[in-house]
Amino acid sequence: MSTIPLNPDTTAKKATSGADTGSTRSITTGGGTPPMKGRKSGRWSTTVILILCAVTVLLPLYVTISMAFKTSGQAVDGNAFSLPAPFSIDGFVQAWELTRFPVGFAMSFIVTAGTVIFTIILASFASYAIVRNWDHRLFRYSFFYLLGAMFIPFPVVALPQIQLTGRFGLDNPLGVILLATMFQLSFSVLLFTAFLRSIPIELEESARIDGATTWQTFWKLIFPLLAPMSATVGIFAFLYAWNDFMMPSLIISDADMQTLPVRQNLFQSQFSSDYNVAFASYLMAMAPAIIAYLFAQRWVMEGVTQGALKG
Amino acid sequence: MSRRLTGALRVAAGAVGLTLTAAILTGCSASGTQDVHFTFNKREAITFMEQTVADYNASQDEYNVVMDTSGVDPISASFVRGNPPDLMLANYNHEVSRFVQRCVLEDLSETDAAATIRDEFQPLLDQFGTCPGRTTALPYSVMAASVIYNKTIFEENGLEVPTTWSELLEVGDTLKANDINPFYGTFADAWTVNQGWFDYTLGGAIDVQSFYDTMAEQGTEVGPDSEVSFEKDFLEPIEKMQLLASEYTQPGAGSRLYDVGNVAFANGEAAMYMQGPWALSQIEITNPDLELGTFPLPMTEDPADLKVRVNMDLVTMIPEEASNKEGAFDFMEYLFQPDIIQAYNESQLGFVPTKDGEAPSDPRVEGMIPYYDAGAFYQGPGILNPRAIPTENYAQALVLGTNAESMLRTMDADWARIAFRQPAVSSEEGN
Repeated sequence: MSTIPLNPDTTAKKATSGADTGSTRSITTGGGTPPMKGRKSGRWSTTVILILCAVTVLLPLYVTISMAFKTSGQAVDGNAFSLPAPFSIDGFVQAWELTRFPVGFAMSFIVTAGTVIFTIILASFASYAIVRNWDHRLFRYSFFYLLGAMFIPFPVVALPQIQLTGRFGLDNPLGVILLATMFQLSFSVLLFTAFLRSIPIELEESARIDGATTWQTFWKLIFPLLAPMSATVGIFAFLYAWNDFMMPSLIISDADMQTLPVRQNLFQSQFSSDYNVAFASYLMAMAPAIIAYLFAQRWVMEGVTQGALKG
Repeated sequence: MSRRLTGALRVAAGAVGLTLTAAILTGCSASGTQDVHFTFNKREAITFMEQTVADYNASQDEYNVVMDTSGVDPISASFVRGNPPDLMLANYNHEVSRFVQRCVLEDLSETDAAATIRDEFQPLLDQFGTCPGRTTALPYSVMAASVIYNKTIFEENGLEVPTTWSELLEVGDTLKANDINPFYGTFADAWTVNQGWFDYTLGGAIDVQSFYDTMAEQGTEVGPDSEVSFEKDFLEPIEKMQLLASEYTQPGAGSRLYDVGNVAFANGEAAMYMQGPWALSQIEITNPDLELGTFPLPMTEDPADLKVRVNMDLVTMIPEEASNKEGAFDFMEYLFQPDIIQAYNESQLGFVPTKDGEAPSDPRVEGMIPYYDAGAFYQGPGILNPRAIPTENYAQALVLGTNAESMLRTMDADWARIAFRQPAVSSEEGN
């Protein structure tokens, strides 16, 4: 391993910064096009639109938070925007007990972590193989085959999947991880291949000259370069796996291993509305996503723009 | 970087693997007792049922009941997979009745529990479909529904509970003269129209069971010239419903939702409310001291026609493929013990379907007891129509004043078309 004089970190930085300059340039040219005189008013209208967009997110969030701290009586009084008075954490206590939150959280976490990890690894493996062997018909067709899966929604194959997972003893979170990974694979491969094409083959050739095997080239060179795209793929996989209701509800047979969204289904009843309990529970389920976003904000932004430009 | 990353990946993957194995292993029962997989998802009664399960588990050491509240979809999936629950206690409707119709449930007719059930309920269950020669679902809790009224407002205005259609209109007129809204309408929520206004007016006016039996026999023949049809039999009561909805509700009823209605009714904004007993607990959240009563909606001039709407809120079922049938039968018999079935129904304002069951003591449902005891009840057309007919939306259109004749003709056409694909079942089949 020490025989490779190549420092992947610097190369990675160079490549990414190169890509960055490219994207910055294109954005600047795009922004410079509108005529000068409309600029000031244009900025105002943009601000107003952005404020409106922000409100559409913040208002429901505010309602969620204030509802969660209300008492059952206040929650149904028809004033969604009022502040909680008296301040009550009863909703959280009830939600915690009804959903058996720690267990549900652990299951959701396992399913999500598993899906994210498997998706990133499998999709990057597949994309690398496909892009570098694009001349072979087998690899090209396997790419189209994988993309074809994008057109098959889960409900269509739900019944056979339920039977299959049942027969193989996969009617548990592991089965959900496998299926969710499969369903994420096509979109992730699409993103990865688009990104991989922009990585010059010369980089790899230099690694080969220094004696790196394919495995080493991938792990030491390509995978670090893929980091921003892995973040994007990871985020999409995270959102899908964390929020998915239908697949875990149908695949997991043991209620103790059910994920949070399925446990929370309990609060949606036609006849009764426990808004405070429901919102408290939603808030607790939302928390990890928000915390993850706060920490990974830079990566998320980077990843999203990468996806937008390359995908 | 890559080494750190792969290291982290390895640790994470290992953790996932370990936790999964642990989770799967804990699925096996530790002690010598056998697990009984029991599904129940009536949100309001989960605390009660948890206690019952705990009591049962403590009372014997052969079986250990595990309660699953994750809903109807996972149950359907478990049938597909071939590992259905051992005992189901579920709301009876067109979806659940498919398990009955396809004969994938055990015959319960020989159990002690079956012997205690009143005979009037079997035809009601059969209206949804049967498995010839088997009794596969036993009613556990019956919900009776009728008009909810504000006793205080009735007393203040010197009003009596109406028993005929003209008395009902008089009550409405008196209330209107005193600036009180007679009914509170929540027409924006289609299901409330369907299970309240639509069902009460029809159930009070026609013999629902024989109507649907004839409809099932006629099948594809239903139309303008058939013996019975929605257009012929429903028209008069629906027009009465439209009269009540247009003249005797609060302004803006068309835009009010269920939740809004509960709060408004709790604050005394109207005298009468066409909702089932499920609304009572919601009204209680806003105003616990409100004095409420119930009475069946009079639709004719003969008080003998008064009936209350019932639905099979809970029935017990044991799948044929259940892995622990003995445990399921044992726990089912435990649930049907008089004091337990009684206490459950008392806590949910439900009626006990057994022969010696006592009515709930809550004064709010008192007005329905004589009718329930006498067997004067019906199941709502709103839930009896096959799901492929969008009855909720039709009922909503009707209550908002659409042309009743043409709407009901559409329903007839829907019925005939669906009967062509999948013949409806009558309550007499299989008996």
